[in-house]
Amino acid sequence: MDNNISRRTFFKRTTAAGLLGALAATGLNKPVQAAGLSNGKLGTLIDLSKCDGCKNYGTPLCVEACGKHNQERFPEPIKPLKKYWPQDKVEDWSNKRDLKSRLTPYNWTFVDHVKVTHDGAEQEVYVPRRCMHCDNPTCSKLCPFSAITKDPTGAVSIDDEICFGGAKCRDVCPWGIPQRQAGVGIYLDIAPDLAGGGVMYKCDMCVDLLAEGKKPACVSACPNGAISIGPREDVRNLANEKAKEINGYVYGDKENGGTSTLYVSAVPFEKIDAAIKADKASKKDTAPGRPGMPVNVENYLSTGKGMFISTVMAPFAGAAVAGLTAYRTIKGDKAKRKQNNLNTQGGDDNDGEENK
Amino acid sequence: MVKKINNPKQSKILRQSLANRFVHWTTALSVLLLIITGLGQLPLYTRYNVTKLPGAEWLGDYFITINLHYLGALGLLFAVAFHVVYAFARREFDIFPRKGDMKESYQIIKAMLTKGKEPASDKYLAEQRVAYLFIGVSLLLLIVTGLIKTLKNVPGIDLSHSFLYWNTALHNLGTGLILFGIIGHLAAFLLKENRPLLPGMFTGSINREYVKHRHSLWYDKLLRSGEINEIKLNDSETHSSGVNS
Repeated sequence: MDNNISRRTFFKRTTAAGLLGALAATGLNKPVQAAGLSNGKLGTLIDLSKCDGCKNYGTPLCVEACGKHNQERFPEPIKPLKKYWPQDKVEDWSNKRDLKSRLTPYNWTFVDHVKVTHDGAEQEVYVPRRCMHCDNPTCSKLCPFSAITKDPTGAVSIDDEICFGGAKCRDVCPWGIPQRQAGVGIYLDIAPDLAGGGVMYKCDMCVDLLAEGKKPACVSACPNGAISIGPREDVRNLANEKAKEINGYVYGDKENGGTSTLYVSAVPFEKIDAAIKADKASKKDTAPGRPGMPVNVENYLSTGKGMFISTVMAPFAGAAVAGLTAYRTIKGDKAKRKQNNLNTQGGDDNDGEENK
Repeated sequence: MVKKINNPKQSKILRQSLANRFVHWTTALSVLLLIITGLGQLPLYTRYNVTKLPGAEWLGDYFITINLHYLGALGLLFAVAFHVVYAFARREFDIFPRKGDMKESYQIIKAMLTKGKEPASDKYLAEQRVAYLFIGVSLLLLIVTGLIKTLKNVPGIDLSHSFLYWNTALHNLGTGLILFGIIGHLAAFLLKENRPLLPGMFTGSINREYVKHRHSLWYDKLLRSGEINEIKLNDSETHSSGVNS
């Protein structure tokens, strides 16, 4: 385990050192400009009218490139794995590292494939899937250990050294994106028999490459130019233009309060979502890692502003009521004292009166 | 004796005003709700099969528990602000810690355990003032870090990660501290000597004899301010002893 952690740490440190070195040598803005990307908010566009799932290749090239780029970050669990007491289960994908048809801790993007009937014709739809990198990521905001960050480009990443593997991020993600591997992470150092579940893994938009001004591995690898990256607003405009052009639809701009991943498709996303669900049902696939495409799915934290204002107002309300109450009781006390004084002056009779 | 029965107020002394009881119980219920729902923000209830208990399914829903957590926060913030403003407006600082409270707490606890003589106490025992400080500081830590967490949840607000990381860690630490504080607070009632204080938080009043012996400094103050009258008690005591003898 020590080897594992030190390997991870080593990788992190060398990456960080490399990045710092690169930035120091070239200046902060230069690398990003070199790839034509601004260092502000970025967006990616996945054009389903261009994606053919790399039918002519064994594995879609985006999936292969993702695996290659991230191979050193994949978990190396300590075995035997302990079950999640008192549950009789443990999440282990380490024997399925070659599984490329769904999201796993060893596969952070995959291309879904469904058949959809639209405009009277059956069409094959290929959908590259990975983290949407939400504008208001529920995973990051609700992580109980703040292990998930969102950087200025909009990339959302999980810190594998802080993650406890409780899988809350997967539960609060509308797409259930992060995937868990047991037998790795900080929980092993605390109480592995009783608490924790491993580490959650997902796409981080290749933040290391972005920091070097390079495009994410999947974007560079796509032979059809189906995945592109650029400044967020440009990507949004491009998506809307393309949708108009093909009389199609955009997905990701409104979902979960807006994401930095936009899909364009000639087929309505409701139909794609239904097809994925139907296919999963027919295969009795209930395991995580094959997300649907729920249209207009709401962000659970959309009421956060109202909640914040309420909590900030509560002390003022408490203070106001306290002020009023204190004023009234002080007035009451004064009246009581006055009465007491009168009683004292009145002598024993008054006391006796009070005692009856 | 007759007087005592006809005038029950004579045998009891008001220790907790309605405002105090309101603050205590609003805080207690809010903190209870905050702890239950806050633990629900850790993936605990599903993992440990709590959600399988009848009626406990909702504990596994992060969004139900987070909304209830906000509700608890509203109650707590209201009560804390009420308490602070009320205490300052009325200059009621009996529960606020004083110099030498730690030493005196030790003496009181030692006396309770060894059946020795404990130092004379004011309205509150030194250990109660220390407990108040401990619970108060823990709550303030939780409130400040909790408010930052609610700000973080506002759509469009992106706070720096290292700041949030430490804020989260401190909020989690505060949870541990408050749990410890509450357990300590409740454990105080395992000791028989403290139990006569219990009715104070329900009816507001506690036994006058208990006050006279255990909170003698406060008792003297009440006598001096004329809020109670010594003659009456002596009177009833005389009657009592008369009946007993």
